[in-house]
Amino acid sequence: MIRNIILATLITALWSCAESNDSEAAFSDSNTGTGGSLARFTIVGDYLYTVDQTTLHTFDISKAQEIKPLESTLVGEGVETIFPLNGFLFLGTRSGMLIYRISQGGAPQFVSNYQHVVSCDPVVANSQYAYVTLRVSNCRQAGPGAANQLEIIDIRNLNNPQVVAMYEMESPFGLGLDGQTLFLCEGSGGLKVYDVANPQNIQLLHHLTSFNAIDVIPLGGLLLVIGPDRIVQLDYSDINNIKVVSEIAIGV
Amino acid sequence: MKRTTASLIPGFILTLLLSGCIEPKTDIPEQVSGLAPIYYDGDWRNIGAEPPQPIRELFKIYYKDSIIFAGESLQGIHVIDNTDPFYPETIKFIRIPGNSDIAIKGSTLYANNLSDLVAIDISDLDDIRVLSRVQNAFPGQGAPLPGDYFGFFECPDPNMGAIIGWAEKILERPECWR
Repeated sequence: MIRNIILATLITALWSCAESNDSEAAFSDSNTGTGGSLARFTIVGDYLYTVDQTTLHTFDISKAQEIKPLESTLVGEGVETIFPLNGFLFLGTRSGMLIYRISQGGAPQFVSNYQHVVSCDPVVANSQYAYVTLRVSNCRQAGPGAANQLEIIDIRNLNNPQVVAMYEMESPFGLGLDGQTLFLCEGSGGLKVYDVANPQNIQLLHHLTSFNAIDVIPLGGLLLVIGPDRIVQLDYSDINNIKVVSEIAIGV
Repeated sequence: MKRTTASLIPGFILTLLLSGCIEPKTDIPEQVSGLAPIYYDGDWRNIGAEPPQPIRELFKIYYKDSIIFAGESLQGIHVIDNTDPFYPETIKFIRIPGNSDIAIKGSTLYANNLSDLVAIDISDLDDIRVLSRVQNAFPGQGAPLPGDYFGFFECPDPNMGAIIGWAEKILERPECWR
């Protein structure tokens, strides 16, 4: 995760070296923030990518005062999430995971897809594996035979993604990855923390059930967890001893 | 959508064309779960910074430069100063009607304002400014009905304002369906 952030920052820095960085604003000038795995907007360099239902949209945002819509790529039914990594975009759709390469000029080019049974599913990835959750519970469109599960997909060859393992879950929503640690939201079933060093045999380290978890952002030791009714922050700098740092609850 | 005579005819013909038979839906249930519109009363293009608001229903999260941006379902963004994660402080609410997603570059927040894409300068949270707007960038947002939905729904009432979304609801004798 940290490596990815550094990489993303480097890429951003390279791509926007013409921008000055002398602002005294609260926000650093050229870099982008971090979204959760349920995000449908993502910024890579000077381009904003968004997904809505059937379409991957590309916008040139090199000038904020003048957003330029570039392309709308029809990618299929039920596109739900978008995750950027090393110049690629991973789309979580109801029928599978789609991989696009960001070409020069920002246009996304289809690379490959990995099909699964119709369900609701976000995706996160590192350079070796993509982690996809499939959810049937409260997923209106789930198809027959669909199950609540985590799938780990080998993406070392991006042209030919291969599933390596599947694990039963309760009702998986968003997920987050930091090194070998995978955080997986189970909705009202709480938050699970896995050691995924061995994708064939992932280890459940913790299952925190005192809050409802929908999505997470790992920030190198600090985990932001969002539920419909609260934001919980966890200190996971010692993975064996995860502590609640603070909580903002509904109505506050 | 509402089965008035005018809307019935094309649907009738379509049904004939597609299936060659007619299946009239005569059984309107007393109670059934379906979708109901969420309305926005007022000008949904009106974006602004407001004092902090209580959390009602969150579903999205974004983080940048020690600030947490938490998406309040279809209403806007809670801005939370997280310089000290032990004492996060809600400092603003950015009202963006119909919003479901954001991303930030520098001090520009990109968000959907219902079906439009907007770029908002948030360098001064007391004085946020819409820098540009792409109209109808996301035609699916605020649609008359989610494109993939088939079932009963509460008939939209144009007097209630713009539809910014749909929510599951127990409907009583619904008069609209697809």
